[in-house]
Amino acid sequence: MKLIDPAQRPSRKAPLVWALSAAVPWAVLCLGQLIWFAIDFRIPWLHAVAALVTVLGAVLFIAVVPMWRYRVHRWDINVASGTPAVYTRTGWLVQERRIAPISRVQTVDTYRGPLDRLFGLTNVTVTTASSAGAVRIVALDDDVAERVVAQLTDIAAIGEQDAT
Amino acid sequence: MTPPADAALQPQWQRLSPRMLLVHPVHEVLQQIPLLIGAVVLGSATGNQGWTIAAIVLTVGVGLARWFTTGYRIEPDEVQLRTGLLQRKVLSVPRNRIRSVSTDARLLHRLLGLTVLRISTGQEAKGDTEFALDAVEAQQVPRLRAILLADTVPVAEAPAGRELARWQPSWLRYSPLSFTGLAMIAAAVGVIYQAGVGAALGNSDLAQSGIAAAERLGVLVSVVVGVLAVLVASVVLSVLRSLLTYGNLVLRRDSDVLHLQHGLLRLREHTYDMRRMRGGSLREPLLVRAFGGARLDAVMTGVGGEGEASLLLPPCPAATARTVLAELIGNPGVVGTALVGHGPAAARRRWTRALALPALVGAAMLVVAVPVWAWVLWALLVGCAGLLAADRARSLGHLVRDGWLVAGAGSLERRRDHLETAGIIGWTVRQTYFQRRAGVATLIAATAAGEKRYAVMDVPAAQAWSVAAAASPWVADNRWAEDPAGPELR
Repeated sequence: MKLIDPAQRPSRKAPLVWALSAAVPWAVLCLGQLIWFAIDFRIPWLHAVAALVTVLGAVLFIAVVPMWRYRVHRWDINVASGTPAVYTRTGWLVQERRIAPISRVQTVDTYRGPLDRLFGLTNVTVTTASSAGAVRIVALDDDVAERVVAQLTDIAAIGEQDAT
Repeated sequence: MTPPADAALQPQWQRLSPRMLLVHPVHEVLQQIPLLIGAVVLGSATGNQGWTIAAIVLTVGVGLARWFTTGYRIEPDEVQLRTGLLQRKVLSVPRNRIRSVSTDARLLHRLLGLTVLRISTGQEAKGDTEFALDAVEAQQVPRLRAILLADTVPVAEAPAGRELARWQPSWLRYSPLSFTGLAMIAAAVGVIYQAGVGAALGNSDLAQSGIAAAERLGVLVSVVVGVLAVLVASVVLSVLRSLLTYGNLVLRRDSDVLHLQHGLLRLREHTYDMRRMRGGSLREPLLVRAFGGARLDAVMTGVGGEGEASLLLPPCPAATARTVLAELIGNPGVVGTALVGHGPAAARRRWTRALALPALVGAAMLVVAVPVWAWVLWALLVGCAGLLAADRARSLGHLVRDGWLVAGAGSLERRRDHLETAGIIGWTVRQTYFQRRAGVATLIAATAAGEKRYAVMDVPAAQAWSVAAAASPWVADNRWAEDPAGPELR
């Protein structure tokens, strides 16, 4: 027996938002290095090494990782047949597939950071009684997320059988 | 639910034992030692000991005030604890959420016939959110426990049940093999140097004569003597600690309630609701295993999985631990059975990991010329790494049978987790980059009990979901499930 991958993708805007949120800390680092470069230029090779590391890191985390994550990330909710469940695939270097039955769901939370709000994205977290069992569906379009939350809270008999 | 008619159920605030008026000031003084030292220093510096007296009076006053400001109330639906001197705080716990009740009496408490009563719910509770009655009189404990557990456990006052295990002096043989003694010595040395006694010791006659003796004996002998002294002290301390903590341990089961009681000086008692029990973990650290020992931990909702909270049996003969576990989970077939191995890919990963470090060291030694004895040490290292890898590969395995999931792994800290599949509320298949290349995956069962996540390490990737589905049929009961013979097989 095996499970096929979930079918739904995150929002098309997800890689852009991920890239932007990764760009912020790297930009700060870049700025710090420029200031260092401007005020102290005694050891040129150290500057070169630092610049190289920064450029490589920035390219990896701003260009490669968001695209990679977008290719990996999937989610799906099964309501029509069998046991209702929520199923996701996440990660990039380390990849996780997680499935949880909706009957065991305790809460359905949404989170929207400043960048998410700007681009109309919502992250949905489905928690169960286990800290290892929370299912996160990240970077959904607002309307999709709304539908997902409504769907999940509708089926979940929240607090009834959480197996504590 | 109708609560039993009892005086303690009247919804009025009750105080803790008045004897705490003696304990609180002492604790407060102990907690505020830095402040008091500061006050003494200030007092001697200004020549006005009034500062010292004021600080002591204030500290004792705060301690006394704690008793007057703390109260608890047992209501039909919930129990409440009111605390705080300046910041008033009321902690409420719904009574039907109470999962276990434990008591803990340190030396001072015991001398006064007091005991701390803790209530644990399904949630993680630490520090401020912990519901602890510190302290009530020991005679009141059985009554309070019966009241508190009345909602969750139907027959709390059942006649004394069957004893599952009792501490034996022979169990002490596993205690020298732990690092607790060394840790205690290190902690003591740290405290001494922190307090600035180290410098004073260095100048003392004792230290001077010690250094003189060491000079006479030579470096090698004094190092050997020093190491031996530390080892002996560590063994003695470990055994002593084990004796004081676990001597007189009794594990008893009264129908649906599990009682654990241990401690010679500091008496601890736990009462667990057996219906919250989701399994148990057998832990066999290498040195304990070498002498045929094992430690037993409970996997239970509302009981943290780490440290001493979940401990049911300290290192004891493995047969005892297995018998007790089989009894508790009511399924002897699961406890003794050999596990299903994870195949060559998983074994290969154990070997590459164990031998990576020796290989690196060896390469470095080829580049840098080293004396012959270094190569002998390297060969020893390789040998140990090889043994470790073989042992790790051997203990790796899983088993799904009769509604139980068993996962085994590890060598230095070998463990075997037994988890009731009814308690599993989610599955994760996790693959790192190297695991994807090797075609294996770590399967993680999420549960509300114990450590919350129980991993089956490096299962062949193709089998991962089958194992999950064998344990939890709902995994296969959806539109993503697909037989290997299915058309969309990739």
